[in-house]
Amino acid sequence: MSEDAVASQNAVPAVRTVNLWKIYPQDPEPVEAIRGVNLQIDSGEFAAMAGPSGSGKTTLLNLLGGLTRPSRGEVWIGGVEIGALADKKLARIRLEEIGFVFQAFNLLPVLSAMENAEFPLLLQGESVSVRRAKVRALFDEIGLQGLESRRPGKLSGGQQQRVAVARAVIADPALVLADEPTANLDSATGAALLDVMERLNQTRGTTFLFSTHDPRVMERARRLIRLVDGAIESDQRR
Amino acid sequence: MRYWTLVRLALRNVTREARRALLTCSAMALGLALLVFSRALADGGHEDWIDAGVRLGQGHVLVQARGYLESGSIDDRLTLDEVHQVLDALSQLPGDSDARPTAVRVSVNGLASSATSALPVRIEGVDPQAERRFSFFPSKLVEGEYFASDNPLAAFVGKGLVERLGLRVGSRFVVTAQAANGEIEGQLLRVVGVFRTGLDEVDEGLVHIPLETARSWLGVAGATTVGLLVDHSREVPSVVTALRGQLNDPDVRVLSWSEANPELDAAVKVDDYGDYIFHAILFGVIALAVLNTVLMSVMYRKREFGVLQALGLSARQTGMVVLLEGLLLTALAGAVGIVIGLAVTWGLFRDGIDFSSLLSGEFDFAGVVLDPVIVPEFRVMQLVQSVASIFVIGVVASIYPALHAMRLDVAEALKFER
Repeated sequence: MSEDAVASQNAVPAVRTVNLWKIYPQDPEPVEAIRGVNLQIDSGEFAAMAGPSGSGKTTLLNLLGGLTRPSRGEVWIGGVEIGALADKKLARIRLEEIGFVFQAFNLLPVLSAMENAEFPLLLQGESVSVRRAKVRALFDEIGLQGLESRRPGKLSGGQQQRVAVARAVIADPALVLADEPTANLDSATGAALLDVMERLNQTRGTTFLFSTHDPRVMERARRLIRLVDGAIESDQRR
Repeated sequence: MRYWTLVRLALRNVTREARRALLTCSAMALGLALLVFSRALADGGHEDWIDAGVRLGQGHVLVQARGYLESGSIDDRLTLDEVHQVLDALSQLPGDSDARPTAVRVSVNGLASSATSALPVRIEGVDPQAERRFSFFPSKLVEGEYFASDNPLAAFVGKGLVERLGLRVGSRFVVTAQAANGEIEGQLLRVVGVFRTGLDEVDEGLVHIPLETARSWLGVAGATTVGLLVDHSREVPSVVTALRGQLNDPDVRVLSWSEANPELDAAVKVDDYGDYIFHAILFGVIALAVLNTVLMSVMYRKREFGVLQALGLSARQTGMVVLLEGLLLTALAGAVGIVIGLAVTWGLFRDGIDFSSLLSGEFDFAGVVLDPVIVPEFRVMQLVQSVASIFVIGVVASIYPALHAMRLDVAEALKFER
């Protein structure tokens, strides 16, 4: 890839929001979960969103990931405004441009570790050989070798979350959204998982955006965005 | 590729709750097996009824002069030329015409008189040779012998009539009826054989005599009915249509057994309706079993469906996974049910099921004595319909759970519950 192309690719942010609002209709008054957020996460960032419970971290992640529709404003993923996309196109964006890591791991219990990790590639129509090669390489990289055929129920919490990270990055998405990824892990396992994600960020250039309460995540993030009452209170780069 | 992925997911989901899937499949399979068995039995029973009815009556297909069905009078009869035309037309039907029993009859209402009594009867002039293949009266012989055509005075008489007229084999009696010339004419007959069908109205009111005797006695050359038997009642509509096309004569009428014997037709239909209701209940139970299993499975796996959509499955594809789960359950149950149904019906009851222990004596219905042994009848179409019905049930019962999965609020489904 030429330097110009790289520069041009880098010029497109991984995700960008413009005056983003999410309002839930509720009695007696509607709840403004996200209030006019303008945010840009560039490709290759390793960023965290922090804030007290109810500050809108998960709602913002859901909006950025196209899991919920904004009430007002725009969400741009790799040059496409996804707020008003049809369901089918939005599903395609999620498949190709976004990876998710959830607090509760959320692996598919009927699939093995390898099948879980390769699932996005399977949906993209990749051949078995390509899928398996990519998953094996990634499993080697993140210390999951030898666990390929195990079902989630036979894996520890840390192993499950690493499989979830593998699933999130396997298709080289523009953005990985991780909602409290270390919350269900002990401190050593959480730290090891952060090592894995940081290494993937550095070696693959994968963009990570976390929502977190975990001080270790906040410390490791190179950008920390603080949310309060659905609005950005501070945005620090390190 | 993607659809195969959906099928694989659905298959894994079905086998994940193996015990639940197995129980549901068992219920569905048994339901289907019962359906196959009951349909085979019902179809076999109906064919037995029809066979008994047409062999007691005038055949699967009847050709008569217009008006005879309503009047029953020999004034409304086929001429000899018309009888020949009909026989020609029958011989031109597709298939082996010699293999299809045909009967030419002259029937008239009259009075049978003995030295002690007189009773109204139906007198039928028949060809004894043809009758042996056509009707079941020769097989109902209880005394004497079935008559031969070279004995012009021979009469084959019902057991009840013999008793009420005080006759026995060898006795003479007289039948009188209005002949073609309008005069009341008598005919002396001698009892050569006695039959017993179990139907009082037949046993007390029917006399068979040679066709030529009836013709000369009544002064007619043609016939009142030309009857035809076919291999199976389902052939009747096509034969009737073909004959109507060939006999393009306004004075000649081609009737199916159901038109000639509306009581029997109604009885078959009523029994069919009963079966439909039974099948509808069965289908309802099967549908509820599928609905319960698939819906419970969807409610239980909301988070999983949320994950699938987060990973890039569209709402439609998520619904498709659920629909496929229902279809897989149905297909599995369908295959097992058909095998069990065929194995039980054909393996254990291919020679028929004898219900005589449930009946105190002969049982007649709609003018037919029912054979207590019912032989199940299989038809490919019957199996296809059963499988198609189960398939439709699987789809219909899975639609609601599939819609439920499609309408999922993904963000809500993925919420972490502490």
